[in-house]
Amino acid sequence: MEKKKAGIYSFTGCSGEQLVILECGAKLFELLELIEIKSFLMAQSNNEKAILDIVFLEGSITTKKQEKELKEIRTHSKMLVAIGTCACFGGIQSMNLGEPGWKKRFQKVYGDNDKLFKAMEPFESKPCDTFVKIDYYIPGCPMDKEQFLHSVARILNGNPPYLYKFPVCTECKWKENDCLLLKGIPCLGPLTRGGCGAICPSYNLPCVGCWGPIEEANVASEYKLLIEKGYSPQELQRKMRKFGGVTMMEYLKKIKKQVK
Amino acid sequence: MRRISIKSLARVEGHGGITVTIDGKKVKDVRINIYEGPRLIEELVVGKSPEDVLNIVPRICGICNLSHRYAALRGLEKALDMKLPLRTKLTRDLMLLGEIIQSHSLHIFFLSLPDFLGYSSAMDMVDNFGEEVKRGIALKSFGYRIMELISARMIHGENPILGGFGAHPSKSALIEIKDRANNLMSDAEKTVELMASFDYPSYAECETIFMALNPLDGKYGFVGDSILISTGEERNVEEYKKVIQERVVPYSFAKRSRYNGEPFTVGALARMNLFGERLTGKAGKCFKKLYSTRWLKNPFFNNLAQAIEVLYSLETISRLVDSIMKLREPMIEKPSNTLSSGIGTGAIEAPRGILYHHYSIKDGLIADCDIATPTAQNLDDIERYLRIAVNNLLSAGIENNLELKLEMLVRAYDPCISCSAHSIKIEGIHNLFNLHTDEH
Repeated sequence: MEKKKAGIYSFTGCSGEQLVILECGAKLFELLELIEIKSFLMAQSNNEKAILDIVFLEGSITTKKQEKELKEIRTHSKMLVAIGTCACFGGIQSMNLGEPGWKKRFQKVYGDNDKLFKAMEPFESKPCDTFVKIDYYIPGCPMDKEQFLHSVARILNGNPPYLYKFPVCTECKWKENDCLLLKGIPCLGPLTRGGCGAICPSYNLPCVGCWGPIEEANVASEYKLLIEKGYSPQELQRKMRKFGGVTMMEYLKKIKKQVK
Repeated sequence: MRRISIKSLARVEGHGGITVTIDGKKVKDVRINIYEGPRLIEELVVGKSPEDVLNIVPRICGICNLSHRYAALRGLEKALDMKLPLRTKLTRDLMLLGEIIQSHSLHIFFLSLPDFLGYSSAMDMVDNFGEEVKRGIALKSFGYRIMELISARMIHGENPILGGFGAHPSKSALIEIKDRANNLMSDAEKTVELMASFDYPSYAECETIFMALNPLDGKYGFVGDSILISTGEERNVEEYKKVIQERVVPYSFAKRSRYNGEPFTVGALARMNLFGERLTGKAGKCFKKLYSTRWLKNPFFNNLAQAIEVLYSLETISRLVDSIMKLREPMIEKPSNTLSSGIGTGAIEAPRGILYHHYSIKDGLIADCDIATPTAQNLDDIERYLRIAVNNLLSAGIENNLELKLEMLVRAYDPCISCSAHSIKIEGIHNLFNLHTDEH
């Protein structure tokens, strides 16, 4: 079988997904029997532009330069796979998305300078699919090694990745943990994509939502429950939006009327 | 006038480049350009609770996430006047050793070694240097395993919280850590031998100033409350802003630092130069055998210093686990400061050098945050060494592989660009980001 050509590209984030790929150990070398990595700047120095069969994208988009780069990658890639919460949802750097005055917030950090703004053309962090069509998503902060490997195995065999369609709660129940929400602790398990193994609740800690929102999450219900438990709307929005990116922003907009 | 331009540095963490402008045979200008996108982390945590901060700041960097978490914990706990039980402190030190092993092994084997053996990547080395690659994977995986067992996940584990841990590592986890550390000793020793076997290039040699945290117990280590400087000065971490004098340059996303107007170096090489003689055991023997005055002026020895620190970490783990197991598992400590307001500066030695986290808390929410990362502190000195390298190489008439030689020099510092560019604060600086947008 001819080796598939792959690329690993990184934008704004912590490099967590690239580190997970490099930590695949012996399996990484097995994978290299099947794919040829044409670009992986963090791990190799001979990187080249080529027509690519599979591209993994890490990080969110925060400058015009990155937006152009991403669009350019799309033109020579047959398949784009967003890996990690930043690429899939926008990451922590998107937690204030949609709030007014982004330019002001930027200037508070980077100074009041129009030249800078024009030169770098920065904007508030957005996930990759704001700009290009993404074929598959492998979320996580960082993504899980096993989930990455079996997703790649399925992709190489012509199948879509199989990702859990249930929330963290399901995995938490499998582990027979006590429910933290019932104890009045603001756990985001019901709203968050499963796949991490319900790690935080297994350590007596509330889920912080780092794998991003699950499809059809019942945000209104959890929101109401926690308001009843005495949490303030500000506090809840702060928690829900931390890793929720664009998707949680939209969910919260929808429930705004319901919860009022 | 000519220009050497490396648009994208390979085998470093994050996105950066180098531009060197040469006039005749002399360097006119050297720039490390940081292209990492803005995230405004210090702004994101304002208005959040200390618990929220601990979910956010480790995400600055996937490699040294626990260093960020540990430094943040130290800063926040100082601000809230919390005193921690010994077992909690020792367990945090153990988790930091895991990160040191992981980060150094990643750098030594995956980022740096391909240069010295003439390959594009560690993946390409596997046919001819299979043993070395295997050793690198084993050490790096062990580092991650410690991080996973203590922080709950290999990267971005949330278990270390204010006042303690969601759950302390179990006895079987601690025993696993100790046993594996002992089993990997020979791999670490061979790594020191390997990194000592290279004839490190001499095209960038010049004395510099080193800085590291003076370890609390007077031994070798990574946690301290005062900054030791090779000029002989020692300052409290609370004074860090005066010591590292941060400023902004018009071509980089990262802040720059100077000590009394001079560039300085932090990291493994700084620690070795400042208190390497405190090392005991096998690491101490290696240090005595290998140390020379070249370490004071040649950044390439950072590779060897990191290898010795991996050995030191493995030796220390065994002692540390024994001490932890003798102590009873404490409860999670609650803040004694019931006002929930205060100011605190926390610092630790991250793999790449001193990491400062400064917080001001008002009525339970963050009012101000400042984070100074090791790579940002090193950038001025990296530029200075690049300038020295280009001048030396050009005056010796060596022009082949100039770019590679410069990249190797930058890689020796093991820069972490995601960290360096987490944010910058600018006060009244103009013409910022006359960035080299024309090149892209």
